[in-house]
Amino acid sequence: MSASATPAAARAATVEFRHVTKSYDPAALRRGAPGAVNDLSFTVPAGKICVLVGPSGCGKTTSLKMINRLIEPTSGQILIDGVDAASRNVTELRREIGYVIQQVGLFPHQSIGENVATVPRLLGWPRARRRERADELLALVGLDPATYRDRYPAQLSGGERQRVGVARALAADPPIMLMDEPFGAVDPIVRERLQNEFLRLQEQLAKTILFVTHDIDEAIKMGDLVAVMQAGGVLAQFGPPAGILADPASDFVARFVGTDRGLKRLSLARVGDLPGRIPVTARAGDRSGPARARILADPFPYLLLVDDGDRPIGWVDQDDVDGDGVLGPEQAIPMSPLLNRRTTLKDALSLLLEADVQAGIVVNRGGRVEGIVTAGMILDWIREQGRPAADAATADEAAAAAARA
Amino acid sequence: MLDWGWIGDHLPQLAFRTAQHLELAAIALAIGFAISFAIGVAAARWRVLYPPSAAIAGIVFTIPSLALFAAFVPATGLSILTAEIPLVLYTLVILLRNVVAGFDAVPADVLEAADAMGFTRGRRLLRIELPLAVPLIVAGLRVASVSTIGLVSITAILGDALGGLGFFIYEGMTRFFATEIAVGAVPTIVLALVADRLFLWLERAITPWSRRTRTATAG
Repeated sequence: MSASATPAAARAATVEFRHVTKSYDPAALRRGAPGAVNDLSFTVPAGKICVLVGPSGCGKTTSLKMINRLIEPTSGQILIDGVDAASRNVTELRREIGYVIQQVGLFPHQSIGENVATVPRLLGWPRARRRERADELLALVGLDPATYRDRYPAQLSGGERQRVGVARALAADPPIMLMDEPFGAVDPIVRERLQNEFLRLQEQLAKTILFVTHDIDEAIKMGDLVAVMQAGGVLAQFGPPAGILADPASDFVARFVGTDRGLKRLSLARVGDLPGRIPVTARAGDRSGPARARILADPFPYLLLVDDGDRPIGWVDQDDVDGDGVLGPEQAIPMSPLLNRRTTLKDALSLLLEADVQAGIVVNRGGRVEGIVTAGMILDWIREQGRPAADAATADEAAAAAARA
Repeated sequence: MLDWGWIGDHLPQLAFRTAQHLELAAIALAIGFAISFAIGVAAARWRVLYPPSAAIAGIVFTIPSLALFAAFVPATGLSILTAEIPLVLYTLVILLRNVVAGFDAVPADVLEAADAMGFTRGRRLLRIELPLAVPLIVAGLRVASVSTIGLVSITAILGDALGGLGFFIYEGMTRFFATEIAVGAVPTIVLALVADRLFLWLERAITPWSRRTRTATAG
């Protein structure tokens, strides 16, 4: 992948908040300044995504902006790889920290290529290298360089602009990225896609990322670590999302993560975490006699018809598989949703309910069938994972939801 | 209706007065722009400067132009300075407002992004704020050029040495000679229209990134 061409790729830094406090004078608060931050201490290890989440006015954006010193702390320290950010030259510091905001903040008078190459230009890279880097990054975020390089921001959709924003933040390969509600201004479908793409990108880049959102679902999905903040800039709980869902530290955290936190844990597990289940398959053109014997022996009453490359064509009801004859694509009934090992259980369950089918088909990158997932398998998984107390309630809720659909 | 013979006889004067008209307008615009730009950049940086400078400019605009020209005669006589001072003051009303509005219109998220990426203050002003303020600044120049070209005619009351094309209008009025009035008025209108088109073209040429043509808010 193109990112690996950069020599310094996968460089990341540790970010440590040490008793950081920010207080605004009463006059500033009256002007609607962001909430204060109170004695904040936590450490984000290099290469991890830490999501700061909380209701508005909890100081999450203020905390983020203290890292690149858009806001200076009143007291306490923020250490980047052990070095106090306050001791650094502020412009040099900022050029080493990527910054992505909800409104993107692209420069309207510069082409997309120039926008992406902003920090490299500030750092004095030669023109040819800047151009090459901009093209590389546009490709990385899924925008064709030849098409987009010379356009202006006004000519792009919201989702495209946000991709450019991410590319621009990555331009000088910073060890740290700060992202303030980066996907908040795009519609839910685009947001979902951008989130997934970003997580895939992060697998290669392994930056240290601090990510602000007010959306607990986004926090659970994006974060290796989640810092739940509450009004007054107090850290309510800090830890991996699964731990926060399983063991909320206070009533506030329990309320904030919601009563459906059992269901939310579905977004933490992926199809690949389930025990595999292989369906009975047959190739189009196979004789149906042997297939009939196999499908009658399997508890799942449908046969999965595949093509020569083991890619799924559709299901055949076992009652339609007669004793002699040939299986053909015309017998197949419409396809189930296609999933892969990275699909979250939440998405998988939602797709199954939406398509009103019994099973989703798991395929690999080449589209070959790897297995199937049923709603029953997902419910079994919740039952096994949940604590005894939460267990019954969440499984019942899910079962009720499945029954309604 | 028009005395074409008189026009034919006075072509050299017409050329001289047209050039003088343009010169008087250009000097006023150039000085007015320099002052507005300096104050505008300062006001964009220190917002407290904006209300007083805007208020003073607004008051100047309410003074009748004839009175303003007359007011400087005791101090500066019938010199070019007497003509230019009021002309410059009138351009300030329009230009100052547009320069400040231009800097003010730079979106906050763009400034925040620039700061966060490590722009220094000066570099941000030069590379980000100034280019983004240009459409409104040029729009202001456009309105100011049209208004100044009109006002230059009034400097004819300061004597034969000034006035540009206004010289013909003033003299034509005292002689009740319609042809001479037209010889002053028609080219003035043409000059104003040309200036208007020229700045409109300039505005579009230097902002290829702006799909919509921004309109002047001054006036």
